[in-house]
Amino acid sequence: MTRYSPLSLAFLAAVIAALILLPLGMDPNGYLLRIMCLMLLFGGLGQAWNLVGGLANQISLGHAAYFGIGAYSSTILFNQFDISPLIGAVVGMALAAVFALILSLPTLRLRGHYFALATLAAGEVARVIANSWTSLTGGPVGISVSYRPDQSWWMLQFQTVLPNYYLFLATFLIISLVFWLVKNSAFGYRLRAIKENETAAEVIGVNTYRVKLMASLLSAVFTAVLGTLYAQFQFFFDPDTIFGLAAFSVKMALIAILGGVGTVFGPWVGALVIIPLEEMANSYLGNSLAGLSQFAYGVLLIIVILINPHGLIPLMQSMKAKVLGRRAS
Amino acid sequence: MTEPLLQLKNVTRRFGGLVANSGISFDVRKGEIIGLIGPNGAGKTTLFNILVGIYPPTEGEVIFDGRRINGLKPHKIAKAGLTKTFQNVALFAESSVLDNVVTGGLLHLKLSEARDFAMTTLDRVGIGHIAHKKAGDLSFPERARVEVARALCTSPKLLLLDEVMAALTPAEMEEIIDLVRGLRDDGMTFIVVEHHMKAVMKLCERLIVLNFGQLIADATPEEVTRNERVLEAYLGSNFSAEREVH
Repeated sequence: MTRYSPLSLAFLAAVIAALILLPLGMDPNGYLLRIMCLMLLFGGLGQAWNLVGGLANQISLGHAAYFGIGAYSSTILFNQFDISPLIGAVVGMALAAVFALILSLPTLRLRGHYFALATLAAGEVARVIANSWTSLTGGPVGISVSYRPDQSWWMLQFQTVLPNYYLFLATFLIISLVFWLVKNSAFGYRLRAIKENETAAEVIGVNTYRVKLMASLLSAVFTAVLGTLYAQFQFFFDPDTIFGLAAFSVKMALIAILGGVGTVFGPWVGALVIIPLEEMANSYLGNSLAGLSQFAYGVLLIIVILINPHGLIPLMQSMKAKVLGRRAS
Repeated sequence: MTEPLLQLKNVTRRFGGLVANSGISFDVRKGEIIGLIGPNGAGKTTLFNILVGIYPPTEGEVIFDGRRINGLKPHKIAKAGLTKTFQNVALFAESSVLDNVVTGGLLHLKLSEARDFAMTTLDRVGIGHIAHKKAGDLSFPERARVEVARALCTSPKLLLLDEVMAALTPAEMEEIIDLVRGLRDDGMTFIVVEHHMKAVMKLCERLIVLNFGQLIADATPEEVTRNERVLEAYLGSNFSAEREVH
């Protein structure tokens, strides 16, 4: 079990306090607050992905499927039946769990690249379905969340972005807490055993299939709830974005991997680096040449990963150890 | 006479055209320490892998503790009380020694109980002092002991030890022999694959000899050393195998 020093706990408390208090001094509909919302959204997605990708090393490239299911479930129920997105979120979580269960039957016995490819295909299947089932989803033109003048928590529609921000923050912190609890439980030990040697894990009594399935379900459910929150934040999305490989599936994996795969704070750092980086690339280079911002963003990512393939959290830990070691000697 | 703990009935395993194990039958009684020997490629590790369920036998039956186990998944067989160590060492390399062993304990225990049991087990195996080292950083003999401790922590009735004494010094071998004997006195049963013949002769009361996937002898160490077929298997056509006998 990881033990944290009083100093790092105090630092964590300060970070959380800052996340709670900082937005109060900002423009409640401003650009900066929107970027912070996206950081928390993607931090949460990275953390949900980390439950299965980080702890069990099941590299999923199809998590956008769960995200999109969450977004479409709440939006369709709201637009067509006037059902609160809070209930829609629960329906989305249940549907994502069903999708994860069905997907797990053939894929959980696959390892490494084969698992990644199978999940990637599953994400694409979800995208194609959403594009073609026009009567339900509205098809390729996308779907808007109906606007309600009587904005309220029950409808998850607000005058400003501030309540959205706190929803993202709360969800992000809950997923992080669950991740930490899982990592330090018997369940976490079993996941790590699978990650490091699946055959040996089986032989000493780990039901590898069941453990991976539980992790996948948990991860899918959290990803779906973030889908609903995203829909209520953007008010519009289309199949190619929400089920998109680059926009979500790869990005949530990347955030966890860049920050430090399998660590609690990896997705925190990953989102803190990637989202502003992407925004800066878009705003400085977006107008000059089509695609240049994506190119610059890609180059920066490659550089970061080449410098440190284990992620930023392990890099910081080893730097800290070096500094403390030098001081001690 | 009581029911045997383990019964193999005509166990055969083919990989394509290769017959790794052919019609193997024998019984193991509770409290025995059995040596499974034979030249390289005789099918010893394959037989271990069949017993713990890594792959099912192509033909034949395995009865453990009164229950047919062939075809069950390894975690079910482990739960029934049968597990093994890995010859080429399959530790959770990025985890600490303690965490490796705790994972074994989780088969029957809660996390807090598993931690205590793992610590006791590490001490008993003589590696309590490296509990917090990373498993991947250990020397080969240390890793073999972690393998033993992790398997012991699942509280098996029958433990298959696959070459845990390779690369040990004579003094270290004595420690392992004492450990296995002590555990046997507590009621555990063992099948041991080992190339070091002196250690095998000292530890085991009964030897089963495989050659080209077939059982060629099942007798006391004394009898086995005088068995014509065994001598031929080891010395006959391939003289270089002689080194393994001594």
